[in-house]
Amino acid sequence: VRAAIRTLRVASAPAAPCPPRPWRLTVGVLRTLHTGPALLSVRKFTDKHEWITTENGIGTVGISNFAQEALGDVVYCSLPEIGTKLNKNDEFGALESVKAASELYSPLSGEVTEINEALAENPGLVNKSCYEDGWLI
Amino acid sequence: MLVLFSMKNCFKLLSNHKVPTAGFKNTVKNGLILQSVSNDVYQNLAVEDWIHDHMNLEGKPILFFWRNSPSVVIGRHQNPWQECNLNLMREEGIKLARRRSGGGTVYHDMGNINLTFFTTKKKYDRMENMKLVVRAMNAVQPQLDVRATKRFDLLLDGQFKISGTASKIGRTTAYHHCTLLCSTDGTFLSSLLKSPYQGIKSNATASIPSVVKNLLEKDPTLTCEVLVNAIAAEYAAYHQIDNHINLINPTDETLFPGINSKAKELQTWEWIYGKTPKFSINTSFNILYEQSHLEIKVFIDIKNGRIEICNIEAPNHWLPLEICNKLNSSFIGSKFCPIETNMLTSILLRTCPEDRKLHSKWNILCENIKGIM
Repeated sequence: VRAAIRTLRVASAPAAPCPPRPWRLTVGVLRTLHTGPALLSVRKFTDKHEWITTENGIGTVGISNFAQEALGDVVYCSLPEIGTKLNKNDEFGALESVKAASELYSPLSGEVTEINEALAENPGLVNKSCYEDGWLI
Repeated sequence: MLVLFSMKNCFKLLSNHKVPTAGFKNTVKNGLILQSVSNDVYQNLAVEDWIHDHMNLEGKPILFFWRNSPSVVIGRHQNPWQECNLNLMREEGIKLARRRSGGGTVYHDMGNINLTFFTTKKKYDRMENMKLVVRAMNAVQPQLDVRATKRFDLLLDGQFKISGTASKIGRTTAYHHCTLLCSTDGTFLSSLLKSPYQGIKSNATASIPSVVKNLLEKDPTLTCEVLVNAIAAEYAAYHQIDNHINLINPTDETLFPGINSKAKELQTWEWIYGKTPKFSINTSFNILYEQSHLEIKVFIDIKNGRIEICNIEAPNHWLPLEICNKLNSSFIGSKFCPIETNMLTSILLRTCPEDRKLHSKWNILCENIKGIM
């Protein structure tokens, strides 16, 4: 039984990380996605309500409107150090709201090149502007 | 499901109620009630981590009871210097732990019961849990005026806080835990949870102080044991499971493979102090030296628990600027910790010429600096 459990746990672990690509999670110069070729400005969502937009191999991650509403007022954002290497589905930080610490998971594999410093002083940006000023990494 | 199955085989069933062990098979169907035999805060927090990381709680919620020997527990994103009297804790041998859930700072001793409600993320409902606790208490004492607030605290007689809440939400599971004050040392609690440290600027989450009271003060029948049994009974009724409290040993690696390393991690300096959000100290203290008063100004920036910027300013006539600068630069990168400061002081003094006066000045200065750590 114990061996079976081990296999089960391993099987349920995330699949092998994405093939090596020059993904970098980066500066959130988030241009709103109206114009331009669809390839550049598509926002994709995970089933855990994180979103990612990518441009030139650089991705920006945040949480969805559904998620920020469910969380309530965010009072603290715990984000990783720049240079941290993340695999898809790795936990990279947490958001705290009304005494609940909610974990954040990376939608893709990559290296953190920038974090949203504005959130240190103003964590509420995640609620007010989850798709723009409230980007995370 | 399989994980639960293996635990089922390993559990030594020591139930508070004389229920035949054959009944355990049915217990596992819709939920489980656990109680820790350990009073070590780190081991108990590790149980929470373990269950959160390894168990599939679909259709099988878990209630976990635990009590700790005297400890102060801070929330995931808090600053211990801001929240408690670390000097007093060191003197009295009170442990400091940082939990993984959010929320504020609490004091635990054997007169406090901790309850953890484990569910899937979908079934996470703090108010439902608190209502259950209230029902349990009213089952013992119908006259008791206990109510849950919007922040999921419990208030006695509309004014005294007897329970505080915090939670952690993961990918598929969540846990909500709360305290329950039965017979805690209230005076000690107040002095421990009062920070003497001045001039701290931080964006860490701050606790909201409350006036607390013990349930035992209100009603001598409300002991820890009575309350644990009442809450377990209410939980069992609600989830339609056998009223069976399973005692577990948090150090048992066969029950919880990998749990001891989780407990170890929770005790590391890097986790307890190093996870403190970046903060700065801007303060001053006075030294009495040969009948003159000297003001020492302190500006320190601390990141990951280590000194990033250090500016200790002493009057030039008392301590030469170059000595002061030497002290400041030696602090950079070191832990914001009195033990480390002691070490640094010894090392620095050895590099100094045999100047008794300088040595004594330096010692006085460092003693005071340690006082703000």
